[in-house]
Amino acid sequence: MKSLKVNGVERQFAPDEMPGTLSALLSVLGVGPATVVAEVDGRIVRREEFDRTQISDGQQIELIKLMGGG
Amino acid sequence: MEKLIIAGRAFDSRLLVGTGKFASPKVMARALSASGCEIVTVALRRVDIDNPTDDTLREIDRDRFLLLPNTSGARSAEEAVRLSRLARAATGINWVKLEVTPDPYYLLPCPIETLKAAEVLVKEGFVVLPYINADPILAKRLQDVGTATVMPLGSPIGSNQGLKTRAALEIIVEQSNVPVVVDAGLGLPSHAAEAMEIGADAVLVNTAIAAASDPVEMALAFKLAVEAGRRAYEAGPRDPLRKAEASSPLTGFLRDE
Amino acid sequence: MKPQSVNSKLIESIGSVLEALQLDRDRGLWEQRLRQVNSQDVETAMASRPGTYSLTKLLALVSPAAESYLEQMATLSQRLTMQRFGRTIRLYAPVYLSSHCVNRCRYCGFNRDNRFARVRLTVDQAASEAGILASEGFRDILLVSSEDRAFITVAYLAELATRLKGKFSFISVEIYQMLAREYEQLFDAGIDGVTLYQETYDRDAYARYHLGGPKADYEMRLRGPDDMALAGMREIGLGALLGLADWRVETLALAEHASYLMRRYWQSHVSFSFPRMRPACGVPSDEFPHLLTDKNLVQMMLALRLCFADAGLVLSTREPAELRDHLMGLGVTRLSAGSRTSPGGYTDPQANTGQFEVNDHRSPAEVTAVIKTQGFDPVWKDWDDALWARNTD
Repeated sequence: MKSLKVNGVERQFAPDEMPGTLSALLSVLGVGPATVVAEVDGRIVRREEFDRTQISDGQQIELIKLMGGG
Repeated sequence: MEKLIIAGRAFDSRLLVGTGKFASPKVMARALSASGCEIVTVALRRVDIDNPTDDTLREIDRDRFLLLPNTSGARSAEEAVRLSRLARAATGINWVKLEVTPDPYYLLPCPIETLKAAEVLVKEGFVVLPYINADPILAKRLQDVGTATVMPLGSPIGSNQGLKTRAALEIIVEQSNVPVVVDAGLGLPSHAAEAMEIGADAVLVNTAIAAASDPVEMALAFKLAVEAGRRAYEAGPRDPLRKAEASSPLTGFLRDE
Repeated sequence: MKPQSVNSKLIESIGSVLEALQLDRDRGLWEQRLRQVNSQDVETAMASRPGTYSLTKLLALVSPAAESYLEQMATLSQRLTMQRFGRTIRLYAPVYLSSHCVNRCRYCGFNRDNRFARVRLTVDQAASEAGILASEGFRDILLVSSEDRAFITVAYLAELATRLKGKFSFISVEIYQMLAREYEQLFDAGIDGVTLYQETYDRDAYARYHLGGPKADYEMRLRGPDDMALAGMREIGLGALLGLADWRVETLALAEHASYLMRRYWQSHVSFSFPRMRPACGVPSDEFPHLLTDKNLVQMMLALRLCFADAGLVLSTREPAELRDHLMGLGVTRLSAGSRTSPGGYTDPQANTGQFEVNDHRSPAEVTAVIKTQGFDPVWKDWDDALWARNTD
C-alpha cells in the first residue's frame, strides 16, 4: 500500500491506483483546480505545474485555495 | 477627488472590501459591486477534501477587482511568509495583506512578527500592506523596511466599535509617507467617513457589510460615506475654533513700523 | 485650502522638492501668492489644527495679510508651546573655537577677506572657556567654528567633546559642513546635535553672498542636514540668515526643508534658529535690502510654531534684551545667554573680534531671573548623556 498525507490526513492507495501527478490526485479527490496552489513536502507548486509534478509514496501534500476573508 | 495611489498603481475607490462572512457568494458579488471597490481581500485555506468543489470566489471577476490575499491564520512571521508565497503562487499577484494574529480572541496583530515578516517579504519583491495596531512608531518602522502602506486598526476585527484609536491614527496620518488604510473595527458608514475626514487614504471594511441585514445596501452606504469623508478632507475642514483669550496683549511691544 | 497628501513611498531629495516648488529661484511667483493671501485665507490657516504643517497654511501665516492677526497667532502659539514644552526654556551658551576661515561670505565678520587678528584656541584653551560656562551653570554647550579645517579637525572636536562630556549633558556644534562619516565620528565622541544654516535657500542670492571657499556650493550645503541625520545626530538645527532674501519666501523654503527632514529622518529632532542680519565688523548694512523688522521676526516665529508643534525655536543673543524677553513667551524653547562670539571671549572679553555683535549683554544670572519672572523654568540640563547609546558602546 502506498500513502500520501493530504491536508493533514493520511490516505491509502493501492499501488496501481496511486495518482502519478498532482493533477491526477486532484482528479481522484474531485477537487477543481481553479484556485488551488499546492505544497509538496514544503515546496510550493503552482497550478500550471500540476500536470508535470510527480508525486510519490510518503509525501506530504497541502492543497490550498483562496476563499473569502477580510 | 484625488486618486488613491498604492505602489504606483492608481485607484478611484478608497474603499477596500473583505470577502469573508458573507451569507452566499452571490450576495457577496452584488455587495462588492455596490461598494464600488477595486481591491478585495481574500484568504488562503486548505481545500476541504470533503467538499472539494466549493469555490466562494468563483463569483469574483478578477478583471474587475484586484485580489489582495491576506495571511490570516498566521501566528508567526514564518507562517505569514509561507502563506504569502503560497498566495503569490496561487494568484500570480505579488500584493499581500500581511496579518499576523497570534491572539485568537481579539485577532490583534503581533507587531514584532509583522515587522519581521514585512522585512522578508519586501526583499522577496512583495507589495506589502501590513495590518497593525495603531502604533505610530511601528508604522514608521514598517515604512523604513519598505511596505507599500500601513493598515492600522480602528478597533478589533469584527467589534464594530469605530475609531477607538483615533488619537493614534491622527499621528500616523500626520507622519506617514505611505498611504494609511484604516482597517478593522469600522462598524458604520459614519466611522468610515470619520476615518477619511481625519486624513486616512482609504479604509477596509468586511464584517459591517457582510453581516448587515442587507449587505448590498450597506455596501452602497459605505461607498457614499467614504466618498463624503474624502471630499470633506480635501475641502479643508476647520478645526473647532479655540477661543483666543490672552490676559494681556502678547504682541503689544511691537511698535508700528 | 487643499491639504498635502502624501501617497508615494519615495521621498525625493530636498533639492528636487525646492526646485519643483520653485522655492530655490525666481521667487516672483511666491511673492505674488503672498500678496494674494486675504484675511479669509489667514483665518482658515489659523483654524487648522495648531502645530500641523502644510505649505498653503504657512503661506497664509507669513503673508502680509496675517500681520493684523499677530495677537491671535501669538496666543495660539503660546498655548501650543505650553502644551508641548511646558513652561520650560533651555539655556545654552556658545564657545567660539576659531576665527580663521577659508570662506568668503559677504555677511560674516569672519570673512576671509576681512582683515583682523584671527584666533584659534587649542583644545586646552577651549576646554578652559567651556569650564567658565560650566561654572556659570550651563550644561548645554554649542561649539562654534568658522571653516578652519586645518586646525579644527574631527579629531580636535572629538577630543574636546570627550573632555567636556563629564561637565555638559548636551554638546552640539555649529561648524563648517562635514560628511556623514565625520558626523558619525563626532556623534561617537559625544556630540549630539549639529546646527547648519543654509543661510539662504535662494540659489541666486546664495551665489551673490558666497564668493568663495567650500561653502559657496549651494547643493552641498543643502545636503548637510541629511548627512547629519544619517550619522545619527539627534538634534538638527536649521536656519536662514534673515536679511539675505525675502524672509517670507525663505520661511517657506525653511519649512519645506524641516518637513522633509522630519519625514525622512523621523528619529532626529529639528529646531529653527533665527539669525537676523545685524551689523558686524566690516559688513556694510546697505548691501542688504531684505532686513527684517521686529514685527517680521515675530510673525516668522509664530508662523513656524503654528506649523510645527514640536520643533525647537532657538534664540541667540544677537537680539536685544527687551525683544528676547517678549519672545520668551511666544514659543521660544532654547536661549543662549551671556554669550561671547569671539574665540577666547569668556576668558578675555576684550581680546578678539566677534563673529557678530551681541545685543543682549546680560549675564546668565540676569537672563535666568527674567525667565523666572516671565513664569518659565530655566532648564540647564535636559537629560543625561551617560544614558545614551553610541556606536562605540
